[in-house]
Amino acid sequence: MFEQIDPRSATPLYAQIATRLKVAIAAGDLVPGAGLPSVRQLAAQLRINPATVVQAYRELETEGFVEMRHGAGTFVREVEGARRARTRAGAATRLVRALLAEAARAGLTVEELRRALVDELPGSGA
Amino acid sequence: MFRAILFTQWKWIRLALVPAALLSFLLPLLSVQDLAAVQDGLSPARFLEGHAQMGMLYPMLGAMLALLVATGAWAADHAGRHVYALTLPLARERLVLLRLGAGLVLLAIPLATLWIGCLLAVAGSPLPTGLTAYPNLLALRFLFATLVAFGLFFAVVTGTARAAGWVLALLVAWMLAQVLLSSAGSRADIVTPVLERLLTWPGPFDVFTGRWVLIDV
Amino acid sequence: MTLAIQTQGLGYRAGKQFAIRDLDLHVPAGAIYGFLGPNGSGKTTTIRLLLGLLRPQGGAITLLGEPVPGRLPAILARTGYVPERPHLYPSLTVQEAIAYHRAFYPRWDQRRADDLLAGFLLEPGRQTSRLSKGELGKLMLLLVLAQSPDLLLLDEPTDGLDPVVRREVLTALLDYVSQRGATVFISSHLVHELERICDWVGVMDQGRLVTELPMETFKNGIKRLHVSGVPAEVGATPFALVARQVHDGRHETWIVRGWQGPMRQYIEGLGGTVREVVDLDLEEGFVELLRTARGPVAGRS
Repeated sequence: MFEQIDPRSATPLYAQIATRLKVAIAAGDLVPGAGLPSVRQLAAQLRINPATVVQAYRELETEGFVEMRHGAGTFVREVEGARRARTRAGAATRLVRALLAEAARAGLTVEELRRALVDELPGSGA
Repeated sequence: MFRAILFTQWKWIRLALVPAALLSFLLPLLSVQDLAAVQDGLSPARFLEGHAQMGMLYPMLGAMLALLVATGAWAADHAGRHVYALTLPLARERLVLLRLGAGLVLLAIPLATLWIGCLLAVAGSPLPTGLTAYPNLLALRFLFATLVAFGLFFAVVTGTARAAGWVLALLVAWMLAQVLLSSAGSRADIVTPVLERLLTWPGPFDVFTGRWVLIDV
Repeated sequence: MTLAIQTQGLGYRAGKQFAIRDLDLHVPAGAIYGFLGPNGSGKTTTIRLLLGLLRPQGGAITLLGEPVPGRLPAILARTGYVPERPHLYPSLTVQEAIAYHRAFYPRWDQRRADDLLAGFLLEPGRQTSRLSKGELGKLMLLLVLAQSPDLLLLDEPTDGLDPVVRREVLTALLDYVSQRGATVFISSHLVHELERICDWVGVMDQGRLVTELPMETFKNGIKRLHVSGVPAEVGATPFALVARQVHDGRHETWIVRGWQGPMRQYIEGLGGTVREVVDLDLEEGFVELLRTARGPVAGRS
């Protein structure tokens, strides 16, 4: 889930982690009641500042995705369907924006992108 | 804490300290080797002459032991430019005292073996008439001489290399001044009186001079 | 904000070439503070000043709320220091070096020492003089972590270590921090490494502290702009124009600080267009920062 964490990005690490978790929750990869890794575990696993993990979890808590139970850990909360859909849509939008920005740098036109996308989609006759 | 410090100093010099302690044990035994020859006709005066000559080794041994234990106290720290020692949570003077104390404990080993050697050397065999053994006195004198030397060496080694350099420079300057004075025709002597002061009672090095004998008249 | 490390007007001179000048450090308690700078910029000297290993010629130092050097032993009991080149007593074995270190620290955590000894795969009976650079670094970190410090001063702790060891060292450090919440002051010229773990950055150059900011602020303010069609003279800008490079008459690259999205309008007002805004990572930001910091100095000489 955290493979693509990029410390060099201008997006702060805590925001990257929070986004990953939100998308995982929205996609149902993390089910309600599931426990998130402890701050200590995740910090060691990603080799990042524990404070960054805490910050990510706090943000998720404020937004209602998880609850932090003192001493027990952090657990996924029930998230309503509409909210999940919005989160997923947001993730899709971010991906497309990144793609468009990259394409602009490479000088590709929208038409070229669209054609490549159709070709690559599963089930296309290419 | 003291035990930890003692252990590091022990481990640093043990390979030299053990033979040194053995030597301290053997020296008194060797010095009375000719005693048997007195029975066979060697004159006591000749025996004492040889005995006293061998006795010159005592102050040398004492100075060597002192140098060994004093340098061993700081060698590991010198090698690391004292960074490790200075970031340990204790006041510098306390560390110095602990190292000094550990040095004294280590020094006690050869001092003790020498004393035992003295006692053994004169035990058993009866002395020719007119001769007396002084094992405790000799061991005590050895103790004092070694402590004086240890104090001196420890002080020099504890200081920085720069401090040691200053001491050395001062000594050289002092000698040089005497040479210049003499070559200028002056009869002033600035060396001999000072040396005399140091080497005769109550000077600190008085204990090194004179006869070092286990057996005397 | 409580500060774990604070210096005021710290000054130190060594020879004619090198000096620490007017150093004002502020390291918040609980922060992982990356102390960056090229080799020879004064990082090690600063750390040695903080620990009382060097005597400053001016200024004041406070560590963990207590003055240096006045309260040094008390401070050092709560401080772990890993020097650039660790030196332990070469005649001791790993086990003996641990026992020695332990004797000085009232808050020694033997369990952590045992865990790290096993985790780092250090042979207890091996003589410390026979350890590789990586093993020595790991042993030193073991010692300082087991002393349960509130403050860690790490001077290039991973310099010259292979990637596996580097990872082990960082993981052990982060594990300690997440359990104990210590302040970490870590110097490095390996900028990437610090980018992951630090939440504060201080940048040294030529004996001066060039900047000191939270990591996010540091990274967000500095951008590379690809612009075109701007006049040669731009006057006052709402952001700091750090560097300007003209490529082929029209296209230019700008390095700016304090950039915010709406500032595009300013450039458009000049008749130019912003073709792209590129985020700079810590290393690029660091390099650009040094370039500006050195600029005026170079101009004067």
